Amino acid sequence: MEEKKKKRIGVYICHCGGNISDYVDVAQVRELAGKDDFVVVAKDVMFACADSNQKDMVADIKEQGLDAIVVASCSPKLHLHTFRNVALRAGLNQYQYVQVNVREQCSWPHHDDRKLATGKAAGLVEAGIRRVMGAESHETIRVSAARSVLIVGAGVAGMRAAISLASIGNEVVLVEKAAEPGGKLAGRKDLFPGDVSGESIVQDLAARVRATPNIKLFCGATVSGVCGSMGQFQVKVNVGGQPAEDLEFTVGAVLIATGFDPYKPEPGEYSMGSPGVIPIGEFVKLVESGSGELMHQGRRVRSVGFIYCVGMRQTKGKNKYCSRVCCSGAIQASLSMHRRYPGVQAYHFYRDIRAYGKQEVMYTESSKAGDVYFMFTEKEPPVVTADGSGAVIKVKDSLTKKQEVEVPVDLVVLVTGMVPQADSGAIAASFKVPIGADGFFNEIHPKLRPVETVINGVFLGGSCQGPKNVTETLSSALAASAKINAVIGKGVIDLDPVIARVDSSKCVWCGKCAAVCEYGALVEMERDGRNFAIVDEPSCVGCGVCAPVCPTNAIELACFTDAEIEGMIDGFALDQNINITETAAAEESAAPSVTMKEYPAQWHMILEAMKDGPISIPDIAKASGLDASLVTRHVMTMNRYRVAEPAGLDDSEQYYLYQQKS
Amino acid sequence: MAKIDPTLAGKLKKYGAKDFPACYNCGNCTAVCSLTAKDANYPRIFLRYGSLGMKDEILSAREPWLCYACGECSAACPRDAGPGDFMAAARKFAIAHHEPTGLTRLLFTNSPFAVVFTVLLAVVMGTFMMMVSDRVDPDNVLKRWIFDHLSFSVIHDMGMVIFTFMGLSALLGMILMGRRLFAGMPKLENPRKAIVSAIHNVRAELLTMRRYRKCQDDEEPYFKDRKWPFQPWFVHWSIMWGFIGLLFATILDFLLKDPATTTWWPSRILGTVAGIAMMWGATLAIIYRIKGVARQYRNSTLADWALLGALFAAGLTGFWMEVAVMAHLENDLNAAIFIIHTIVSMELVLLFAFSKFAHAVYRPLALFNYFLRQK
Ligand SMILES: Cc1cc2nc3c(=O)[nH]c(=O)nc-3n(C[C@H](O)[C@H](O)[C@H](O)COP(=O)(O)OP(=O)(O)OC[C@H]3O[C@@H](n4cnc5c(N)ncnc54)[C@H](O)[C@@H]3O)c2cc1C
Ligand code: SF4
Ligand code: SF4
Ligand code: SF4
Ligand code: SF4
Ligand code: SF4
Repeated sequence: MEEKKKKRIGVYICHCGGNISDYVDVAQVRELAGKDDFVVVAKDVMFACADSNQKDMVADIKEQGLDAIVVASCSPKLHLHTFRNVALRAGLNQYQYVQVNVREQCSWPHHDDRKLATGKAAGLVEAGIRRVMGAESHETIRVSAARSVLIVGAGVAGMRAAISLASIGNEVVLVEKAAEPGGKLAGRKDLFPGDVSGESIVQDLAARVRATPNIKLFCGATVSGVCGSMGQFQVKVNVGGQPAEDLEFTVGAVLIATGFDPYKPEPGEYSMGSPGVIPIGEFVKLVESGSGELMHQGRRVRSVGFIYCVGMRQTKGKNKYCSRVCCSGAIQASLSMHRRYPGVQAYHFYRDIRAYGKQEVMYTESSKAGDVYFMFTEKEPPVVTADGSGAVIKVKDSLTKKQEVEVPVDLVVLVTGMVPQADSGAIAASFKVPIGADGFFNEIHPKLRPVETVINGVFLGGSCQGPKNVTETLSSALAASAKINAVIGKGVIDLDPVIARVDSSKCVWCGKCAAVCEYGALVEMERDGRNFAIVDEPSCVGCGVCAPVCPTNAIELACFTDAEIEGMIDGFALDQNINITETAAAEESAAPSVTMKEYPAQWHMILEAMKDGPISIPDIAKASGLDASLVTRHVMTMNRYRVAEPAGLDDSEQYYLYQQKS
Repeated sequence: MAKIDPTLAGKLKKYGAKDFPACYNCGNCTAVCSLTAKDANYPRIFLRYGSLGMKDEILSAREPWLCYACGECSAACPRDAGPGDFMAAARKFAIAHHEPTGLTRLLFTNSPFAVVFTVLLAVVMGTFMMMVSDRVDPDNVLKRWIFDHLSFSVIHDMGMVIFTFMGLSALLGMILMGRRLFAGMPKLENPRKAIVSAIHNVRAELLTMRRYRKCQDDEEPYFKDRKWPFQPWFVHWSIMWGFIGLLFATILDFLLKDPATTTWWPSRILGTVAGIAMMWGATLAIIYRIKGVARQYRNSTLADWALLGALFAAGLTGFWMEVAVMAHLENDLNAAIFIIHTIVSMELVLLFAFSKFAHAVYRPLALFNYFLRQK
């Protein structure tokens, strides 16, 4: 992509209304830039981003036939796109524009040294000029996107997402490894909150899935192969059966909705394995299977002890997190038990009750119904002894001054939380999505990008991301559906051209780049008996990590090519003669110099002067013996840090008074 | 190792505890109670004992007796568990538990029984008094029937037996309660000094309601700017001292035999002053309860009404008689009033130990124990 070097460049130095020009000698920077042979236009302007200036720039480009522009102003975070659009409007490629940040990098940090600030600005501007000389033109990369989605897991998350994606015109391949869809909710009756049963939610969703022609549901199936990238994933689905068969699909995006596994208590953990000790999942089934008299293994159950946080919130162990549904789940199970089997006494042994949100109401209801709650600490968990004839739970109750109490019960229920689904590791490996320290799939950011993974085109929904109740599961599944449709809905995907490229003639396929790329964007290719790396464009995010590891220097990142970077270095290294004018220099030496070390002492002197009430800056200067301009600077800073505050005008209405902030 | 008894909660509710198992141990009630000691946990911990069924912890505790039912805690409770009501119930529960005949338990927990019992007692006493009265014709069938079958001395002895029995069971209850309170008492370094100081503290407490006066419920505006005679602590003070004064006056009158002679007898003056005090307190308390002016007056049990009603009736009829005696008005109405006065007073005295009234003994006992244990 060799392009000829630019020879007609326009340079604009911005004052930023004084923000820059107060500390950087803008005129001199402009002058120095103008000396460059290839700079045709050099201007300093009050506000570069102002509409009027933008118009002037467009006119300059057109009238002077400029082939590239540089603006020395604020951060590109603020105005990169503003000036790229100026270039575009004037008929230039938008990448023929370089922004130099002389505000955050020069005037603001070096406000105490005009000469250095100006010198640095001049260097950076020169670097920008050299960079733009070697800049390449780019167009957005457009790839086609299959309007179909692979959803792994047909729990409530997977099914809900399938229905919503299908309803807006996407094909859905829904792969479920169990014989029936529904996940953990299948067959469940009483759920919190509300009165809709798990069973009916699952039946409703499954019926809608089956009735939707553009959803293909495969049960007893697994994903057996994945390649390709966003817009064009090639996936193989093993649909089981006799003989097992692999079907192939091309999908634009993937949603992982593989859910969770319930924590399995270790044998012996709270006497797990002894008769009369069961995990909550089993208890819920027992309760929901009947009514009247609660029986377990042929014995009548008159009292139940729930032990919370089993396997969860281990400060030393593996599962450090809280599963957030189990408190509510256990309370719900207890209430459900009371409704179906009146008269059974419930005891709850908890560390903290986290019946958050509306579930608090259930907690109140359960207490009022006479459920007794005991609180224990992680260090002193309850001790369960169980023989076939019943169990005893011994606990040091934190709520009763750690009195040891002994509670005989007929059934011990271990309230277990959620752990990552057993296949998570394998799924993570095939889609190259990362797994967190807790074993659940990791989104990019829990708040800012909660359903996206670092792999473009691969999304997360439901409890595979971490503990979630049904409401939260469905919210995230629907969020992921919306995100997916936003990506593939148009049938094409526009990509930022700032990505890596491999010069295949230089590459010797050592594999180092592929090893460091977290996004799996570097893939091996074979052509004419030669193996080399290529960049899978939709996967690359342009992080640049691969470029420096390549031993043959075969990789370059668009907009950051060697030519551009070397040009910047040359430009910055250029010897420039900075001349700070007499007045500016005099001004500078007049300003009293002070080192950071002296600040605390001087602030104390100023606060001392403010002690007797509001006082003006000249009076503080008099009282403290400090220079008035120094006092001004300090008081302004003190005001900003809320140490001092203005307190109106003085009697002569000439000066502001300041006082210590209470 | 403590054992759990989830049935206790239901029993306590019968004594007037509200939905206390709803308590989730946040401790707000302890934080707002003006009377709870520095590192004490009450009232919260007692609701806890109630939920777990730790009966002994409740029965042997002094703390319920330190509470004056101001209700601040109940107002602060986020779960509406009624900690203040619980403390009152715990006191009634303790009174009933220690009284050996079981009569108290029935009176507190079975309202129909309580009504029937007190009314029946009143009717029996009333009939009997009517029969001995000169106003009833000696040939009256009932009168003849009673006295033909029972000699006066048998009736008298029967009365004495009943009084003694009631008195003894009351005494026994107090001893049982005392024994529990003083069980596990650490050995005092200087017992004499400690006892003297504890007695002094109890006396000061009873005379000045020092602790009660600390109860200030900021959320109840009603008492905010009221003068001291209208404050709850003074209402309580005047009922208590009024009643004690009247009791003394009656005893003095009894010892001096001829009660109705002159108004200027010291016992008569004492009676009048004490009566006014008691009437002041009882009247205000009844008004406060009817109007429900503040949290502590809003939840009244039958036991509360019965005690207040009896005190009020005794006071009112007492003053009526005072006037009637001064004006030498002897007629049927005044005789009836006299009988009512006697019935109510007798019931008050007879049922003293079997009613909420017993707290007049238990509280000082518990306070004494509390001060004794204080460093
Ligand atoms: C004891 C207990 C009680 C609960 N009670 C309630 C309640 O009352 N109310 C409430 O709101 N929430 C409750 N929850 C939470 C609720 O169960 C979850 O929020 C919900 O099941 C999550 O749905 P999901 O679709 O994300 O996952 P899952 O239900 O786990 O579904 C995941 C699906 O993916 C499939 N799958 C997994 N791996 C693969 C693979 N490799 N290939 C293909 N398919 C795969 C699984 O077979 C499963 O069908 C409770 C949880 C527990 C543990
Ligand atoms: S939700 Fe409750 S039981 Fe579950 S881990 Fe959290 S605190 Fe423990
Ligand atoms: S720039 Fe980053 S994402 Fe792209 S290929 Fe290189 S390492 Fe991978
Ligand atoms: S690091 Fe360089 S040489 Fe090695 S495979 Fe990657 S592009 Fe090729
Ligand atoms: S009613 Fe008043 S004195 Fe009694 S525990 Fe509550 S706050 Fe304390
Ligand atoms: S304020 Fe209420 S909920 Fe809180 S500890 Fe006291 S009684 Fe319990």
